[in-house]
Parts: sequence; structure tokens; C-alpha cells
Amino acid sequence: MQPSLLLRIVTHLILGLCCLVVLSPLLWVLRTSFADKIVAYQLPPALFFTPTLDNYRMILVEMDFGTFFLNSLIISLTSTLLAVVIGALAAYAIDRYKAGGNAMPIVILATQMMPPIVLVIPFFLIFKDIGLTDSRAGLIVTYLAFNLPYVVWLMMSFMKRVPRELDEAALIDGCTPMTAFIRIIVPALLPGIGAATILSFVLSWNEFLFALMLSGNESKTLPVAISSLVTQQGTAIGAVSAATILAMLPMAILYFAMRRFLVSGLNLGAVKG
Amino acid sequence: MTSISQTTRPAYSAASPRSDGLSTGFYKLLFMTPTILVLALVVAGPLLYSFWLSLHEYIITYGMGDLVWFENYAVMMSDEFAGVSWVTMKLTVIVVVLEFLIAFGLALLLNQSWLKFREIYLLVLMLPILMTPVAVALMFRLMFNPNLGIINWLLSLVGIPQQGWFGDPDLALATVVFVDIWNETSLMLIMLYAGLKSLPQDPVEAARIDGASAFQILWHVTLPMLKPVILVTLLIRMITALKSYDLIYMLTQGGPGKVTETISFYAYRLGFRFLDIGQAAAVSFILLAAVVVLTVVLLRIMREN
Repeated sequence: MQPSLLLRIVTHLILGLCCLVVLSPLLWVLRTSFADKIVAYQLPPALFFTPTLDNYRMILVEMDFGTFFLNSLIISLTSTLLAVVIGALAAYAIDRYKAGGNAMPIVILATQMMPPIVLVIPFFLIFKDIGLTDSRAGLIVTYLAFNLPYVVWLMMSFMKRVPRELDEAALIDGCTPMTAFIRIIVPALLPGIGAATILSFVLSWNEFLFALMLSGNESKTLPVAISSLVTQQGTAIGAVSAATILAMLPMAILYFAMRRFLVSGLNLGAVKG
Repeated sequence: MTSISQTTRPAYSAASPRSDGLSTGFYKLLFMTPTILVLALVVAGPLLYSFWLSLHEYIITYGMGDLVWFENYAVMMSDEFAGVSWVTMKLTVIVVVLEFLIAFGLALLLNQSWLKFREIYLLVLMLPILMTPVAVALMFRLMFNPNLGIINWLLSLVGIPQQGWFGDPDLALATVVFVDIWNETSLMLIMLYAGLKSLPQDPVEAARIDGASAFQILWHVTLPMLKPVILVTLLIRMITALKSYDLIYMLTQGGPGKVTETISFYAYRLGFRFLDIGQAAAVSFILLAAVVVLTVVLLRIMREN
């Protein structure tokens, strides 16, 4: 049924306006990241100017953001990898063997909902005692506290969609649960593994509180490095913009490349449980 | 159904021997051990330790002091705690309600069968979901800067005087709400849109044939069917709003004064600015209690549906 022209125009206007609200700050910061000092401060702003890469050079070379970028990448990837491997096994055991009984899904969900501030206080003291403060390994392990429950929860809902007949047949044919898992479940679970990998990486990449309290110069992640620019924002609009873009860039690429995975993951993880 | 699946599933009975002679119980343990170990190490252990801390007088510089039992929890009675609880509640309710209304409205629009460019709209509207909150906050701090920011300049074009935004006690919370909406509405949109799409179309068609108006269909058909999804969406967003911390830290640090200070930030300030770990741990446990209550409600709703 085709509604009236007016209704269609209003619908497109509303949606278009919302898209504008989402896009314009991003485009504005992108524009400012290529502006030199004079242009960055100009009001009314210049829309056309000769772009410069000075801001990116400044944060990458002088402020060492390359290292922080690398720290973020190593910590996020390692923690994600661990969470996905450990979590896939657990999701299999919970769904097929009811491991942990009825309480297990509740424990997993409750853990996922826990405010980070509750954990960061003890972590801060424990790390100080055992000398894990300011190490990538320390952050990788702590990130499992939110990555792992998330991954298990997500994969549990993907597991439910893998027909039981598949692995039951394998078991009857003489597979052990382990070989059935590797040969049958993992290939069937690939969409879930993909979604869990991406979302867990996003969680780790964006994480701030743990990194703020537990990292130092050696293991500083990108969000922490960016937060330390706040005090300088009056003086270096261009550099701050470039840093903002740098932090968002991998997420934007991931988003456009893997949108299908992401959307299915977010839906299953959140709603269907 | 149950009896069939039981008879066709001998492979899952705990007693059945495997070709390698190992019992199902062994494999269960093998698969679960890494998860249980990790959760014990990075969740349960620290949680218990933190609870122990909350029962002590503990200033970082002096180390752990006397066991004072629940004395630290008396912070609940303070005006300061009442203040941050009020801010947290206000912020949570405002962002959840506004984000829900926006997300639901957009989801309904996007779900119109005749809509063109749907994919493009979705692509753009879901973009903020992935953005690093710290970077988002910094982006808006630049734009809301009273002297150098583009927003005050744009407003000046239509004759609105300069505003202090994050620095103005009357506007700070509203400005934080705006940034939160920009950053977080996508998640609700994705959940509600998926929920709408998965609804059966027959009842809607039947109502339409019976002559129901668009609003009547929405109110009497779509909303009741979507209720479980809506409830879960609201609860999940409430929980994430309660524990959110990044935006406050980056945008206002709880200020000006304490008008944007949430419980999470208050616990952080007690622990890492005032170095009072005992009190900070107690406050974090009070927050945890609130989250647990909401999670129990969430679980009950999920199970009913």
C-alpha cells in the first residue's frame, strides 16, 4: 500500500535529518583534522582550504600515538582471541551438555551486566601487589572479565541454531565430543564466531576505565592517550581532531566491511538471549 | 516433543561410553574449565576481594586498616550519595526514555515496506554504535567549546547568545544527554528494528483489512506483539546507562559542581582522588546491587517469553 506523497516526504525528511545529525559531527572533525592551526581556529569557519597532514604527523611522531595504537591493537586482538576460543568451548558445553546447570546462563548474564568500576578497584590494588600494573598482559587478562561473558552469551544463542542432529550424528559415528566440536560445531558456528570476534574486539578497543587505571607509559591504549589530550584541547584543536579520527578509523572500517556480522551479532546477543 | 528428543539422543546421556573411553562428565569439565578458571580469576576473586575491602578502613597511602564491617556503607546516608544517586537516576531515566522514543520512532519509519534508501539510512544511523566513547566525547567537547566551538557559532547565526554548555550548571546535564543520545541510540534502534522485522505480518494485514487506522494497528497490534522485545531493550539500556562512566569522565568530570556526577564517577573519585578505597568499594557494591536487581527482572522477562 502506497501512502500519500506528504507522508513519504515527511518520513524521508525525518530520517534524512537524523542521518545529518549523525554524520555532521564526524565530517566536521574529519575536516578539522586536516586543517592547519590558523584554519582550525577560524570562525566563521573556512570550508575550503589546502588540507595538511601536519596534525597526523604531530600526534603520530611527536606524541607517539603510533605506539598507543599498536598497544590497543595487541591488547584487543589477544584478549578477543582468548575469549573466542575459551568462550566457544563453554557455549558448546552449556548448550549441549547443560554444563553448570541452569545457573550457568544466569552467572554469565550477570557477569556481563557488572559495572566496570566494581572490578577496577580490586584490580588496581591486586596489580600493584603482583606487579602487573602497566603491562599489556595485565590488560589482556582483565579484558577477559567483560569479553568472555559477552562471547559466551552471544555464542550460546548461535549454538541454539546449530541443529543437534549434526553433532549427535558425529557422536554416534564415533567422534568424541572434542572431535565433534572441532569438525562439526566450529564450521557450523562460524557466523557466531565471526560476530563474537568483531564485537569483542570493539568492546576491547573502546574500553576506557580499566586501561585508565591499570596502564602506564608502557601499555597505554588509544582511548587513554586521547583522554590525556583533554587538557590541551584549547591549544591543539587540529591534533585532537586527528587523534579522534585515528581512534574511530578502525571501527569505521570494521563497520563498513563487516556490517552483516555485526548486525546479526548485536541482535542475537541482546534480544534473543 | 520431549519424549522424541530423549529417545533420539542417546549420545548425550552421561553414562554412554565413548570410543576413547572418557565419560561425558570429563568432557563437560574439559570444555568448561577455562571459562570457570578465567571467571574465578578475573571476576569472582576480585569481587570477593573488593567486598572484603569495602568492610575495611582503607586509605591507599596507609594500606589496609581496621575491619569496620558495614561502616563504609553508611555513606549511603550522606547527602553527597543522595546527590549522585539522584543524578544517576535522572540521567538514566532521561536517556533511556528519549533514546527509546527516538529509536522506536525511527525503527517504525525504517520498517515501512515502501521506504526507499532504507539500507543507506540504516548504514548511517548505526554508525555511532562502534565509535569509541572517549573519542566521541572529545569530538563533542571541541564542538561545544564556548569560544572556539562550531555550535555556539552556528547558534549565533540565528541570534542565540553564547552558551557555556558543559560548563553551565543549568545546561551541563542536558548537553551530556545530547552526546549520550548521539552515541547510544543506535543500539536501541538495531534491537527494536530487528524486533519489528521479526514480527508476523498476518495480524497487521488482518487489522488493515478490517479497516483499522495506522495508529490503531500500532497501538493494538504491533505494540502488544513487540512488548517482550521492548522490555528487554529498555532493561539492557538501563543497565548500561547505570554503569556508564566514560562519557562523564571525558565530558564534565561530574561538574560543574556535582550536577553531572554519577555513582560510577563518585566511586572513582572516592577511590582514586580521595584514595579512600574502603568507601569507594562500598559505593561500587551499592551500584552493583542496583544492577543485580535490574538483571533479575531482565532474566524473569526473558524467561517468560
